[in-house]
Amino acid sequence: MGYQSSQKGDATVVTVEESRLDASIAGGFKDFMMDLIDSGNAEFVIDISEISFMDSSGLGVIVAILKQLNGKGSVKLVGPQKAVSDLFDLTCMDRIFKIYATVDEALNNSQ
Amino acid sequence: MDILIVEDARDQRFILSTFIRKLGYVAHEAEDGRQALSYIEANPQIPIVISDWVMPEMDGIELCQTIRGRDLGRYIYFVLLTGNQDNDAVVQGMSIGADDFLHKPINFRELEVRLKAGVRIIELERTLEERNKELAGAFKIIKQDLESAAKTQAELLVQPTTIDKVSFDWFFKPSKIIGGDMFGYFSLSDEHVAFYQLDVAGHGIPSALFSFSMNNLMGDNTGKTSLLRETIAEAPYYRILDPHEVLGCLNERFQTTVESMLYFTMVYGVIHTPTGKLSISHAGHPPAMWMKSDLGETDFVEGEGVPVGMVPGITYETKNLQLTKGDRLFLYSDGIVECENNQGDMFGQDKLKNLLKESQTLPMNDVIVSVQNQIEDWQGHGQFEDDVTYLIMEWQP
Repeated sequence: MGYQSSQKGDATVVTVEESRLDASIAGGFKDFMMDLIDSGNAEFVIDISEISFMDSSGLGVIVAILKQLNGKGSVKLVGPQKAVSDLFDLTCMDRIFKIYATVDEALNNSQ
Repeated sequence: MDILIVEDARDQRFILSTFIRKLGYVAHEAEDGRQALSYIEANPQIPIVISDWVMPEMDGIELCQTIRGRDLGRYIYFVLLTGNQDNDAVVQGMSIGADDFLHKPINFRELEVRLKAGVRIIELERTLEERNKELAGAFKIIKQDLESAAKTQAELLVQPTTIDKVSFDWFFKPSKIIGGDMFGYFSLSDEHVAFYQLDVAGHGIPSALFSFSMNNLMGDNTGKTSLLRETIAEAPYYRILDPHEVLGCLNERFQTTVESMLYFTMVYGVIHTPTGKLSISHAGHPPAMWMKSDLGETDFVEGEGVPVGMVPGITYETKNLQLTKGDRLFLYSDGIVECENNQGDMFGQDKLKNLLKESQTLPMNDVIVSVQNQIEDWQGHGQFEDDVTYLIMEWQP
C-alpha cells in the first residue's frame, strides 16, 4: 500500500500501490505528488496498473498533477486496467495524457 | 476540592478528615458504602472518594463497582484502603475500577501525594468534558446547518412535470446529507425544451455548494446573461446554442484549481418539440440511454467528452438524433452503475440497460421506482457510497 518513486534518467517513475484510487486516498496521493513537483521533478511516468477502480476524486488528482506542472513538464500514465481504461475513454483522457502499456514503453517514447 | 471519606471506624474517620482538611480540601464523611452512595449522588461537587475495604452494609469493593456501573454525570476518582499487604487485594481492586490504593496504617505523606495525583486526573477529566461539550455543541450546529442546506437543495430541484410535450420524472438521493449531483429542465423557446444533469467530483459539502451555483447558472435560460441562448440581429432575435457550445462555454468559465479539483461531468440536450429532433452533448458523463418506443429497444447514446472544468480549450461534440413518438431518454450519474453489492461487484451499465428495456412499457414513475428497488436490493443497506440521481423524460407529441 502506498506510493513509490524512482528516478530513471530525466523521468520520475511513480508506482501507485493501491487497488482503489478514490476519495479516501486521493488527498494522500495528491500530497505525495505535489511534494515531488515542489522538489523539482517534472517528467512523470505514473504506473497505475495496480489500480482496479478510480473515482472522480482519483481522476481529479491525476489532472491536478498536470495543472500544477503548468506546461513545464509531462505526465505519462501506464497500464490502466479495464475499469480505469473505460473511465479514461468516457472522459477522453487520451486527449490530455499519453497512455502506455508498460513503463519501458513510456520511458522509451520521448514524445 | 471535595473529598468523601468512607470508613466505619469512627476514630480512623476522624483522623483522616482532620488530615485532609489540613491539606486544604473539604472533607465529607460516610460510615459505609450505602451511605456513601447516596451522599455522592446528593453532592455532585464530590469528585474523590477514599474508601475503606471492609465495612458493614456495603463494602469498598461493592461501592466502587456500583459507582462505576452508574451514570453519575462525572468521573469519581476512587482510592481504596487495604488492610493487608496482599497483592491480590490490589489486583481485585483494580479490576473493579479503583484508581489508587493505600495500605493501612496510612502513611500521611503518601496520602498527600496520591491525592495530588487524583486531583490532576480529575482536572484533566473536567477539561475533557468541557471540550466534549463544546464539540457536541458545534456538531449539533453543523448538523442543523447541513439539514437546512439539504432542504434548500431539495427545494432547488424541479418537480416532475410536462413541458411542451416532454414529460420528466426523477430520483435523487445524496450519499451524505447533501450531494454534488444536480439536474434540471426548462423551456428555451416555444419549440425547445432543454435538460441537463451534472455530477460534481467528490461528494458532500464542497461538491454540493458548487452544484447549487450551477443550478442558478443553468436556470438563467432566457435572460441576456444566459449561456444557453444568444441575442442575434434578426428575428426571432435569439439563437439557441448547440449543446457542445454550451459545454465548451461552461468549460472556459469553470476552470478548477489544483487545490479544489471541483470539476464536473455533464450531459446537456435540447429537444425541438414539434419534430422530436434531439441534440445532445456529453462531458465525461455516463452515456444517456435511449428507450425506443417503436423497436422496444434501449441503446446508449454514445458520446465521450472531457469533464467540464478540467483543462481549458476543449471542444465538445453534439449528437443529433431523431426521436419517435413515445421515445424516452434516461440520464443517470455514475452512482448507479458504480453501486457495489456486498461482493464488491458493481451494478453496471448492462444491468441498467436490461432493466430499462424490460420496463419500457411501464408508466414513467413506475420505471423510477423499479430502478430504485433494483439498486437498493443490489446494494443491500440503503446507504449509497455516491450520490444516486437519474432523470427520465418522454417525448409525446
